[in-house]
Amino acid sequence: MIRILLRVVGREYARPMRRTIALMTATAIVEGLLYALLVPVLRALFGGSPADARPWLVAFGAAVAAYAVLRYFSDLSGMRVGTTMLRGMYHRLGDHLARLPIGWYDAARVGEVSVMAGRGLLQAMGVAAHLLAPFIAALVTPLTIVAVMLAFDWRMGLAALAAAPVVALTSACTARAMAATDAERHERDHQAGARVIEYLQAQPILRAGGRTAERFGLLDDALRQVQRASRRTALAALPGAIGLTLTVQAMFTALLVLGAYLALGGGIGAAEVLAILVLAARCADPLLSLADIGGKLRGARAEIDRLDAVLRTEPLPQPAEPREPRGHGLEFDAVTFRHGDRTVLSGLSLSVPEGRRVAVVGPSGAGKSTLLQLVARFYDVDEGAVRVGGTDVRAIGTEALMSRIAVVFQDVYLFAGTIEENVRLGRPGATDAEVRAAATAARLDEVVERLPGGWHADVGEGGALLSGGERQRVSIARALLKDAPIVLLDEVTSALDPINEAAVHQGIERLMAGRTVVMVAHRLRTVQRADHIAFLEGGRIVEEGDHAELLRRGGRYADFWNASLAPATRQ
Amino acid sequence: MSAIDSAEAAVPRTPSPDESPVAGQSMARLLRPHARSFAAVVVLQVIGAIAGLLPLLAVVELGRVLLSPGPADTGRVWAEVIVGAAGLLVRLAFTAASSGIGHLVDGQVQLTFRRHLAARLGRVPIGWLSRRRTGELAKVVGQDVSAVHPFIAHAPGELVSAFVVPLVSLVYLLSIDWRLTLITLIPVALAIAHVPLLMLPARAREQEEFDAAMGRIADSVVEFVQGIAVVKAFGGGERAHRAFRTAADDFVAVFSRWVRGMSLVAAGMQLALSPPFVLLVVLIGGTALISGGGLAPADLLPFLLLGLGLTAPVAALGHGFDDLQAARRAVGRIKEVSEVPPLPEPTAPAVPHGHRVEFQGVRFGYDDDREVLRGIDLALEPGTVTALVGPSGSGKSTLVRLLPRFFDPTGGSVRIGGVDLRDLPTRELYRMVSFVFQDVRLLRASVTDNIALAVPDAAPEDVVRAARQAGVHDRILALPRGYDTVIGEEAALSGGEAQRIALARALLADTPVLVLDEATSFADPQTEHAIRRALAAPAGDRTILVIAHRLETVADADTVVLLDDGVITDQGPPAELLARDGSFAAFWRSHRSAIGDPDSAPPGGKPR
Repeated sequence: MIRILLRVVGREYARPMRRTIALMTATAIVEGLLYALLVPVLRALFGGSPADARPWLVAFGAAVAAYAVLRYFSDLSGMRVGTTMLRGMYHRLGDHLARLPIGWYDAARVGEVSVMAGRGLLQAMGVAAHLLAPFIAALVTPLTIVAVMLAFDWRMGLAALAAAPVVALTSACTARAMAATDAERHERDHQAGARVIEYLQAQPILRAGGRTAERFGLLDDALRQVQRASRRTALAALPGAIGLTLTVQAMFTALLVLGAYLALGGGIGAAEVLAILVLAARCADPLLSLADIGGKLRGARAEIDRLDAVLRTEPLPQPAEPREPRGHGLEFDAVTFRHGDRTVLSGLSLSVPEGRRVAVVGPSGAGKSTLLQLVARFYDVDEGAVRVGGTDVRAIGTEALMSRIAVVFQDVYLFAGTIEENVRLGRPGATDAEVRAAATAARLDEVVERLPGGWHADVGEGGALLSGGERQRVSIARALLKDAPIVLLDEVTSALDPINEAAVHQGIERLMAGRTVVMVAHRLRTVQRADHIAFLEGGRIVEEGDHAELLRRGGRYADFWNASLAPATRQ
Repeated sequence: MSAIDSAEAAVPRTPSPDESPVAGQSMARLLRPHARSFAAVVVLQVIGAIAGLLPLLAVVELGRVLLSPGPADTGRVWAEVIVGAAGLLVRLAFTAASSGIGHLVDGQVQLTFRRHLAARLGRVPIGWLSRRRTGELAKVVGQDVSAVHPFIAHAPGELVSAFVVPLVSLVYLLSIDWRLTLITLIPVALAIAHVPLLMLPARAREQEEFDAAMGRIADSVVEFVQGIAVVKAFGGGERAHRAFRTAADDFVAVFSRWVRGMSLVAAGMQLALSPPFVLLVVLIGGTALISGGGLAPADLLPFLLLGLGLTAPVAALGHGFDDLQAARRAVGRIKEVSEVPPLPEPTAPAVPHGHRVEFQGVRFGYDDDREVLRGIDLALEPGTVTALVGPSGSGKSTLVRLLPRFFDPTGGSVRIGGVDLRDLPTRELYRMVSFVFQDVRLLRASVTDNIALAVPDAAPEDVVRAARQAGVHDRILALPRGYDTVIGEEAALSGGEAQRIALARALLADTPVLVLDEATSFADPQTEHAIRRALAAPAGDRTILVIAHRLETVADADTVVLLDDGVITDQGPPAELLARDGSFAAFWRSHRSAIGDPDSAPPGGKPR
């Protein structure tokens, strides 16, 4: 557990961590040892000479004071390690997330990582500060007490010691059984969560079919699975909890019997027997709390494992000596790219000379967007190479590569803030006039005029307060402002209505002027004026040429063109 | 209890909604069937916990026998030992049974809650749903219901050991010696004295700062992670990254300050409650009393054994409290969802005559201060296609969504066959209206199930026919298991394909009114073609309303409606409107010149 925690937060925390653990252990040992003083105190009190108890009581008081000081410092140390680790962890996770390939972030990941970097981290780091001390105390204090018992009476000490291996064994077994059911439960929760989301998103359609919650079996099954899994978890935890309680109680009972027997036989003084039984009671409580602490540790452990998995994802390798690309032509050289077991692009070659426009057309799922993403290095190719200005993108530093590329995505993410801030993101150093000019070129000025607050209108998280077309215009203005030599357009106009499309088109024309352009498009009308058209199907280019040439050839492109123009006459 | 512990509980400090008696009753009604099991859990727990005191009492009695002058009474000694051992067994059996039943009940209660919430969410207005994040609602059904777990499964045990056991112990100890009992309570009093220190205004301020800092972290994480593609593409990575680091550093600083502010007080409290300190107090008091002859030495034993338990309630206040707090907030959110009034069903359902659709003086706004639709009068005749065009933000999407009753108009009415939609039962409405919108959701289920969602008992050949009409049949046959392929598990469909499935769904439902949003983010030529074919199919007397994005669709429509800023500015057959040279004609020209497409046929110029 500690080992994984250290691997996650980094080795530099090993020393303070070890110091904290040492302090906590010392505190627990002192607690166990000070109970030893109970024996002489009780011997004096029960033996009818209370005055003799005084010096021992003073010693007991001193021991409690020492315990208090130790405990304060070990708690403080735990807090300090906890907070420094928390800070270190936030930084480490942030740095790592920034270096992960963009392709790694799919829709599900985004939610997961947001939760992890927020509350998840706090929970995981809480281990050091608030679970460690009770855990160590629950283990070390009883062991120390057993040692004390051994010192006073070896027979009763041995009887208590016999419980130790059984406790260890039951804890280990429980941990293993629980790990399996916990994993299953997590999985079921996850499935049910996905079903609930599906159920909510499909509400209109489900209602149209009269499918209420009861009649939507998929959801109800998932909910019942959750219940079953939670029942299994509860049942799996029961033997462990009972086993632990049984062991501890058996120990106490054994000591009770043995103590009674020894005391009756006169082999040991009544005071000693009673003192040892008081010690035994002190032993039992922390041991019984082990089950509870163990459960909480397992919860934190799951969180730490998730962090560990993210941190162990390989970031994109950066070149040791970044090279500068010469020129802005693009070249795909026998590129093969796989996503999981699916080959998205296989042995694809395509070159885009500097300043030319290439359109990529093809059915959905042909790998068109992937092509653009490989240029921007969202992923790295599996075979072949993608070159910018003759230099492999992997040999160019990320910053240098990105500074040459402007991308307009299909779905646009805007940051919470004003429209102006979002446009300025394209080039943070731009003057106000430049920002306005880019916005006007993208016909964003019309949007700004209409919005209450104009330039300073808040766009909401993710740009939710703007329509799709309006977001698209912000994105184009951003790209215009960036003024990069390479422009990548991903189905920019497909989500737009005619007015927006018209507006956006003018902006896009300006954006493309004199630049190297790769555009993915469904609307064939927008591609007919490209210098070169590549028809992509099944991860390969099946046809290439300009619009007229491809139409003449009467192949796949021509089919597509005709399908999109076919008059939809009513029969 | 540590600061981090309480910090965690404090994180999502959403204000809990007022406890409304209605929701309280509905929760109570949900819990009623489980009341017996719940009572059993509590009773078993009480018996078990009290039996757990027996071994300690046995030690006490053993002490009395052994410490009494003269030879020990062997029989009594063994009797006490047996009582102690029996107590332990009873405790084990009863607490195990209680915990087992508790967890089973917990599972059932959670299932009941989830089913209730799901049923509830199945009846709230769609508009309400569409303005929430589904992820958050799913969290209510999932995690928030799970957070109730400590209430059901652990609360009885914790409450019993925190309050019943100490109370029984206290009564017993008082019966032995009231003075030593009071002395034993000194640590408890000391601990309680610390409580006001935890509630100083400074602490409250730190708590607020803490919440704010946690909120900033959450915001910056969302921006950082969700915008990562943009961030990288525009080299703004540094900015978002720095914002995240700053938020994290801020948070840690606030957190340390908060922890430091609490640490001395917390340490004092913990020390007062710690077993060594309690034992010290008892021993000092006991020694004094025994020395003075006011206490029999054997009477000290129960205080050493049971006295420690008296601190349990105070310790529990700090410890179990956090979980219960979190559970209470979760219950608050659950209640909030179950309090949303469902879409009212008409008490006297009306029967529509035909399916002519009328919008009469329809006004609508999402917020009070901004109307999206400002008085729409529009009739859709059976057997016609009406194309809706207009700039973005003009209210097109809102207008079409009123028809399947995602929202109810704030003024005026929408009627089908002369009947206000609000007077139609939901089932009846959806028998008349189907729709294909931009956000297509396919279920993780077979292709057939997905297409037949609105018509669960459809014949397989009908499903295939609908798929053919939607131009997706061949694609389905190419899937690993054809129509039985589970979407999302065995095969992933592209956006365009998903849209065609949705179209097949609508075609299968075969409703007299069809609402379409034509251009969609993923539309490819096949999908566009399929949609246009659906629009052009012999409609019989089907009424179609479509948000048109393509020139061809506009040209082919029977009626074009131009919407601008929530009002209709032009309306009529496309050719007529062009001839009249009104606002639609201007719109049309600007669009065509923007596309720069001289080949596009003029409206009405095509054979229909």
